[in-house]
Amino acid sequence: MSPASSADDGRPPAVSPSSSASKPPRESAASDGAHAQGRAHFQEQLRELEANALGGLDLIVEQLDRVLEALHHQDVELAQMVIADDDRVDGRYLEVHQGILSLLALQAPVAGDLRLVAALLHMIKHIERMGDQCVNIAKLIPLSGYEPPVHREMLDALAKMGAFARSEVVQSKAAFAARDVALAEDLVRQDREINRLNREIFRLAIEIGDDPDTREWAMHMTLVARALERIGDNAVDIGEQVAFVVTGLFREFSDSSRPPAPRAV
Amino acid sequence: MSSAGSSSDLLARFDVSPSRRRKDRIARTGVLAATVLALVPLVLIVYYLLRRGLGSWSTTFFTTDPTGNTFFGGSSIGGIKSAILGTIEIVAIASAISVPIGIGVAVWLVEYGKGSWFANTVRFFVDVLTGVPSIVFGLFVYIVLIVGTGSTYAGYKGSIALALLMLPVVIRSAEVILLLVPGALRESALALGAPRWRVIFSIVLPTALPGMVTGVLLAVARAAGETAPLLFTAASTHLTTFNPGQFMNSLPVQIYDDVISATPAVEHRAWGAALTLVTMILLLNLIARLISRRSRLA
Amino acid sequence: MHDTRQTERPLEDASAAMPDTSVETKPGLTVKLEGLRAFYGEAEQVKGVDLEFRANEVTAIIGPSGCGKSTLVRCINRMHEEIPGARAQGRVLLDELDVYGPSVDVVAVRRAIGMVFQKPNPFPTMSIYDNVAAGLRLTSRGRGDLRAKVEAALRGAGLWNEVAERLDEPGAGLSGGQQQRLCIARSLAVDPEVILMDEPCSALDPIATLKIEELIDELKQRVTIVIVTHNMQQAARVADRTAFMLGGKLVEIGATQDIFTKPSDPRTEEYVTGKFG
Repeated sequence: MSPASSADDGRPPAVSPSSSASKPPRESAASDGAHAQGRAHFQEQLRELEANALGGLDLIVEQLDRVLEALHHQDVELAQMVIADDDRVDGRYLEVHQGILSLLALQAPVAGDLRLVAALLHMIKHIERMGDQCVNIAKLIPLSGYEPPVHREMLDALAKMGAFARSEVVQSKAAFAARDVALAEDLVRQDREINRLNREIFRLAIEIGDDPDTREWAMHMTLVARALERIGDNAVDIGEQVAFVVTGLFREFSDSSRPPAPRAV
Repeated sequence: MSSAGSSSDLLARFDVSPSRRRKDRIARTGVLAATVLALVPLVLIVYYLLRRGLGSWSTTFFTTDPTGNTFFGGSSIGGIKSAILGTIEIVAIASAISVPIGIGVAVWLVEYGKGSWFANTVRFFVDVLTGVPSIVFGLFVYIVLIVGTGSTYAGYKGSIALALLMLPVVIRSAEVILLLVPGALRESALALGAPRWRVIFSIVLPTALPGMVTGVLLAVARAAGETAPLLFTAASTHLTTFNPGQFMNSLPVQIYDDVISATPAVEHRAWGAALTLVTMILLLNLIARLISRRSRLA
Repeated sequence: MHDTRQTERPLEDASAAMPDTSVETKPGLTVKLEGLRAFYGEAEQVKGVDLEFRANEVTAIIGPSGCGKSTLVRCINRMHEEIPGARAQGRVLLDELDVYGPSVDVVAVRRAIGMVFQKPNPFPTMSIYDNVAAGLRLTSRGRGDLRAKVEAALRGAGLWNEVAERLDEPGAGLSGGQQQRLCIARSLAVDPEVILMDEPCSALDPIATLKIEELIDELKQRVTIVIVTHNMQQAARVADRTAFMLGGKLVEIGATQDIFTKPSDPRTEEYVTGKFG
């Protein structure tokens, strides 16, 4: 795939044969004006689709904020709202999915455009999963009982996890919008913190004591921690899509213990 | 605006204005008048030919030679057999000379020499030659082949004069037809790995053939009717002869001789000969028309 | 060697053009261009191109109008020099032989490197049989079992089943797609090693186009194919490798899949995504 001698300005030369020579064989040209216009329309549609998909991440941040607050104050009603509002996330998923199918069928995108469309398909799936995880957390809140025992340390850890998860979602959106691969790779760092906190919460749950109510509550909290950890993973996956769109290569981001394996798609 | 109103607006836009109609009618009438005017002499010629020539057509008319007797009328003056045969023979020889050469020149102009200054010069002179009066060709042959060599009139010298006359016409019409053969045909034959001469003979010429035959027949028809070149070259005689080295009779010259005769019967014979000549040319044109209909070009 | 893409084809009727692969196959040859330049008088249309067309592969050349792709292809079988005032410089190697070599017979080059044009042009005065045999007769190789060779060529072009009963009918009486396949059969009959195709489907309807694309897929087992096309989807469907030309120069060449999913050169990216054309 080696490019040969570079052209000067990239525009085809005007052909002016001498009067005695006949013209070079003409290639049939589509009307260039209409062609450029068709693609402008397509570019706009693509931008709208991306904005739509990225807007889904905003929805997730909203959901996440509310569910963390519900967790903090044990607010069952707020939790119910989060569950109900997952419909909006699912709706966004369907919208973007339909938009992608339509674009593929009607516009036959190639190269960078094609990679973008493929990445949006992945992204919207991750968004939908993140939404489901928020719902899972919300569902765990009323289960904590009428007067839940509260373990300060655990709640703090969960709050920190929530903050990291929120930050990861926001950063994944920024990285994708700016096509910033470095920013995307940085998500791994935050995700390591979430994983560490997850292990911490698990340890705290084991050592929580003999009280059955407390133990029950602690188990639910480990499930909450797991949901937050999954949200973080999904954000990292979105970061991987950023790298794919920019480089055309798909590789898993991981921490330094496992070197990344480049895989051509 | 009501729908009835808008549709009548539309009608108004699409309706032809009366002044337009008037202009159209004037133009049509004018052009028709010009056509009729042009047809009048043509119709008159045909009418006179038929009226005055048809009467002298008979079997003896076509099967006996003119006797040269002008004193008495009736059957003693003879028919025009030698003239008909002479025309056929002179024109046939002329075609045999001009057609191969003419087509060869046209092939060279289109296939080999295209665009070169030499080809353009040749084409220019060919165009000039098409306009040269026919008597000049006769004169040329007279001076070169009769006065110059000190020999006498002969049928073949008439053929040469006619061939010179036909040559530019054949070249031009063959060239036009060859140019109509699509370049794509030559290209695909060349791309198969055929040498150029093969392409010309096996692909281009067969495709151009019907058109070229038409052109040749039209040149022949023209040559058959020329009188002036034959006057100084083939001269005329009364007897039928097939030897081109001798004087030879021909229809145009026969007509020329007979028309100025004092004997009305001989003058009558001239009309018959003229009608014969016109009929022969008409037949040639019809054949040319039929062949061109089968052509796949133009 | 790359797999050609397998896309779904519509179901075909019984008389569909499925080329007969029982015909003997033989390997095609590699064509290499080195420093190729082509001129129309003083104007330079191809400005120094180095390019390789691999044996038994389909290579597509894409690019905007006027980029020189048709001119380039016509230099390969030395048709370019048939235009008055046109000339070419550089080397075109068929395997190891430079077709522009001083003692090389142009006519022999064209028998080894066949060409199919944009507008189907069967010889109008000839029947179907004569059209296919024309190549052999015109190149003085009309000896031997002509009938068998004509049938083999028609089978190779996927046309035999449709015309076996009417070989004496005029070639011009076929449909556009059939005519183009007849032209392909005509080229195949002289047994070339390479076939050049200059926008072979742009005058055809979509069904005929599809049939020819399938044919190309089959033919590459016997010949090396170079196809010039302005239809990028066609290049994507049909070609193993794709070359992008701009302004008389080669910008990029690579596996078709790479060109259309992650091209290296930004100009290629702009062209295939339709930002200019």
